Amino acid sequence: MSNRLQTVISGLRLDNPLILASGILDENGYTMKRILKEGAAAVVTKSIGSAERSGYKPPVVVEIGGGNMINAIGLANPGIENFGNEVKIAREAGKPVIGSIFGADAEEFSNLAKKMASYGVSGIELNLSCPHVKGVGQEIGSDPDLVESIVGEVKRSVNIPVFAKLSPNVSDIMELAKAADRADALVLINTVRAMAIDVYARRPVLSNVYGGLSGPAIKPVGLRYVYEVKKETGKEIIGVGGIQSAEDTLEYIMAGASCVEIGTALHTGGRSVFRAISRDLENLMASEKLDSISDTIGMAIQR
Amino acid sequence: MIHSTVVRVDQNTPTVRSIGFKWDCKVLPGQFIMVWIPGIGEIPISLSSTGNLKEITVKSYGPASDALTKLETGSRIFFRGPYGRPFTLVKGKTLLIGGGSGMASLKPLINERSYAIVSARTRDELLFSDKIHEGNLHLVTDDGSIGIKGTPLNALEKLNLTEFEMIYVCGPEIMLKKIFDSLRGKKVRAEFAMERTMKCGIGVCDSCSIDGLQLCRDGSIFSMEEVMEMEEFGRTKLSESGRRIILNY
Repeated sequence: MSNRLQTVISGLRLDNPLILASGILDENGYTMKRILKEGAAAVVTKSIGSAERSGYKPPVVVEIGGGNMINAIGLANPGIENFGNEVKIAREAGKPVIGSIFGADAEEFSNLAKKMASYGVSGIELNLSCPHVKGVGQEIGSDPDLVESIVGEVKRSVNIPVFAKLSPNVSDIMELAKAADRADALVLINTVRAMAIDVYARRPVLSNVYGGLSGPAIKPVGLRYVYEVKKETGKEIIGVGGIQSAEDTLEYIMAGASCVEIGTALHTGGRSVFRAISRDLENLMASEKLDSISDTIGMAIQR
Repeated sequence: MIHSTVVRVDQNTPTVRSIGFKWDCKVLPGQFIMVWIPGIGEIPISLSSTGNLKEITVKSYGPASDALTKLETGSRIFFRGPYGRPFTLVKGKTLLIGGGSGMASLKPLINERSYAIVSARTRDELLFSDKIHEGNLHLVTDDGSIGIKGTPLNALEKLNLTEFEMIYVCGPEIMLKKIFDSLRGKKVRAEFAMERTMKCGIGVCDSCSIDGLQLCRDGSIFSMEEVMEMEEFGRTKLSESGRRIILNY
């Protein structure tokens, strides 16, 4: 790859703007390592909490067509004490591993961040937006005061970049973006609260009833939040939501994202999506005479 | 979610039943479906018949499989799929090695050129051994109630493996590992049906991954050569939470 695709997020240098999103293929160190070797510039780990959690019973996903899905995995994770070895294995690929964490309050987030940092991750992503587990994620991520104290506490605890992943399931994202101002960058967006019913079984499909919608259907929502927050705050942003192609990536970059996270596209395209989108992005940027990602960030924002 | 109606139920052993349903879809041997029992759960199951009439073969080991074994003719069955990479089909002589309910996913491979090592804990639990030509059949039981007392390895070492174009293996990982170790270095072609905790079935949740490959998409069938490259095979796997469990088979 040429230098054209290189980008920087909060000081982290990336070979290309494509990062594996949290929650997709990032529980097992060997999987993360393989995805990095197969073209992702960085990976975000599955969200890790203080204690081991098995998550919800299957069905945990529903495919709803068009490459979209609804999932409620339920923050399954081995617990922070059991995750060091997975980070170690993933880091063997020699690229940034970003540790995602979730908790109930500032103290828990700060303890998790310190432990995650000790495993050698390059950054911390705060999951302030999981839409389907009570007491963590979106429930605390909807409270600006709590968001402010969590971000502040974590920033005081570690000296690596801290990213705050915010939820689209709120009435005023600007309020939260401002509350998370001390984060090095914002991650926009998480999945959109949703559900599916099987009419023949006459009941919801997901064992948890509610889940998070992801895939191309939420791209316009993610794009709007990235654009709006970038325009209003000027903060560094990692774009997430429905990115499946080079055009989608460039849309997010032009809306103001410095890089993007890809998740659901792994379902339709497999692990090779990173290599495929990088190649297409290189060609698209060349044909559109765009010399670098950094010059393209926020290009579409109208003042 | 796809739904169909159960058209036949066969009791194969005291603990195992096969459930037949109509589904107009091309499914290849080794592929699986995620079967949903509304209100109870969802589990991955290989198709034990892949013709016009599809069949799954189930042993009760948890709430979802238990509910499945209780389905009657006329019941609705819900599922999604087919998922996974199938076995490679060959024209010549084949050897099937099935441990316990592992024989279910090998059943669609059975033809007149098939030989088989069918193993189970006891004679009552031998699955689909009646589908194999008697002269081609080697039975193994843990308790010695019929056939060789021991493991499939004890039967395997008596065979001239070079006469088989392909060896297909399905069973618990410890059995797969021991057979893999014994075939290693020999001039044989073999495929292994792996087993891991499977949640999503569509290559996103990472529960079933082995060495970065997802059983649900890249497997669950892997060749000798692919297994050779796997650091996790027989050594470690992930629990439902993602905690690494040491196997050391």
